[in-house]
Amino acid sequence: MRNRWPWLLALTLVSLVLGLALGATRIPPSAIWLGLRDASADAAPVVRQLRLPRVLLGFLVGGGLAVSGAVLQALVRNPLADPFVLGISGGATLGAVAAISAGLTNPWGVPFAAFAGAVLTLVLVYRLSLVAGRRLDSGVLLLAGVVVSSFAMALVTAILMLVDATRVQNSFRWMLGGLWAGSWTTVGMVAAYGSVPLIVLMVRARDLDLLALGEEQARHLGADPERVKRLAYLATGFLTAVAVATSGAIGFVGLLVPHAVRRLWGPLHRALLPSVFLAGGGFLVLADAIARSIAPPVELPVGVVTALVGVPFFALLLKRRLA
Amino acid sequence: MASPASKSRLLIAHLPGVGDGRSVCRALAAAALALLAACGTRTGTTAGGLVVVDDAGDTTRLARPAVRVVSLSPATTELMFAIGAGPVLVGRTRWCDYPAEAKAVPDVGDGIPPNIESVLAQHPDLVLLYRSPQNVDAARRFREAGAAVLQLDFNHLADVSRLARLVAPLVGHAAEGDSLATSLDRQLHQLAATRDTTHAANVLIMAWDQPPMVIGAGSFQSEILTLAGGHNVFDDVTAPSATVSIEAIAARHPAVILVSDTGVPGFARRPEWRVVPAVRDRHFLHFATPAFGRPSPRAPALVRALRDSLAAAR
Repeated sequence: MRNRWPWLLALTLVSLVLGLALGATRIPPSAIWLGLRDASADAAPVVRQLRLPRVLLGFLVGGGLAVSGAVLQALVRNPLADPFVLGISGGATLGAVAAISAGLTNPWGVPFAAFAGAVLTLVLVYRLSLVAGRRLDSGVLLLAGVVVSSFAMALVTAILMLVDATRVQNSFRWMLGGLWAGSWTTVGMVAAYGSVPLIVLMVRARDLDLLALGEEQARHLGADPERVKRLAYLATGFLTAVAVATSGAIGFVGLLVPHAVRRLWGPLHRALLPSVFLAGGGFLVLADAIARSIAPPVELPVGVVTALVGVPFFALLLKRRLA
Repeated sequence: MASPASKSRLLIAHLPGVGDGRSVCRALAAAALALLAACGTRTGTTAGGLVVVDDAGDTTRLARPAVRVVSLSPATTELMFAIGAGPVLVGRTRWCDYPAEAKAVPDVGDGIPPNIESVLAQHPDLVLLYRSPQNVDAARRFREAGAAVLQLDFNHLADVSRLARLVAPLVGHAAEGDSLATSLDRQLHQLAATRDTTHAANVLIMAWDQPPMVIGAGSFQSEILTLAGGHNVFDDVTAPSATVSIEAIAARHPAVILVSDTGVPGFARRPEWRVVPAVRDRHFLHFATPAFGRPSPRAPALVRALRDSLAAAR
């Protein structure tokens, strides 16, 4: 497994094919292929309007969450960090639940409110973490994230207790996360808003490697640790906000995938970030394909599958490394 | 006494007026009643009071009909008024909105789980609870405070008449309970017999759209639809509701979609839903009445209304 790219490209390809092939209805591969090429084919609406955008959304969200997790683990130098540790999912949940409780009927009301909540949290945590107004302290960043997240979740609980009982139940479903919102519009939204932070992080990957050596070392090697930290924080935050706004808080992708990729191919960010993106995207698409085809017509929350598949795989990887 | 009665004998021994050896016949009659009660179908009346076994399997005894009742679910509140026992209610949940008189009953907050303190502040002698794991602790506490407690399953249309017969005697309205139940059973039976099965429309009942959630066969809403002559496209889902994909919905080819919103629902404007022809062609049936939210004595009227709507939509 010395060369990572064949493996990652294979994973990407397999996940895309399975993501298109599996679903609530059984469609033979030949019909799917026909549906992709010919808009008038029987399977075309399901393949083109539902499965393809859902697979693409899953890939972008999975990749985004995994990159976000990888960068945050380097930024706060804590292996437990994942995209949600900085309170962004709490803020997104608050926005979404507030919109659901208010009975917003606009089809884009909930994702927009979630995005607004996430960005608001991002700014709040950022302001809290700027020690004396200029230095971004990783320890304070973690603490501020946890505190702001708790505050947001307390507000969520308060809202849920005060509104209509059925809306409460439905809000809980949203909080579990999932890719059911997959459409060309959501794919476009994630691609448009997610690509900027993603490109920024990939371009600045070398600085992240320097940061991993320690702030003092990084400064000696010509990097400005403060700038790198701020950029990394804002970019990951924005990336997570886009992912959460369209798909809720899908767990384990941002935590497990970066660790798995580091264990397999080492920690250097310039190669790590693209690898993590492909691995995270492929992993989430596979998990979603399982989630929507294992017990049709009922769909499992994809977070359940990412945990059930991801955790044993990760345990195996840990054990192998130790042996 | 044969072995099945041994458990009931224990039960009778605690009842005043039994066990004094005056009449074996009376003891036997009481045992039979207690057995019936143990099946959860009837309230037994003995010389010494009322015995009932609720849906949690707990036995409740009342020396005389309850006069201060707290009802902790909208369905039981509606039922209490329907059997003429509204005046004995001293507490209801904030969700109890039917009939209009229910609003005059003091609001004690939520029903699952209830606020123990505000319920006990009404000094109830009987508390009607929805049976749920979240309510087990509340039931125990109400009993400790001296109130009788019934934990009731209220999930299907058949529960309405069953619970009318079960609860009515405990509040001194046995005759009304029995007549309501008889009339309800007769109407539902009649509706089932006159159901048009030849043109059953494929109907989807949407419970929520983010993520898509549909009503399955385990819900009374599906029962109402079936009686109205519709076919629930997700009747293979045994749960009351389930999260499904848009693809699964499209594959079931619903002709009509039952929604609770008024106007065109928001989700219909999202492009991915256009894969479902009934959404694309706006075949929505608005069924916003709150009566559709709980099993109630209004079910037969609801079935007739839905029957008419489905016929008009055809």
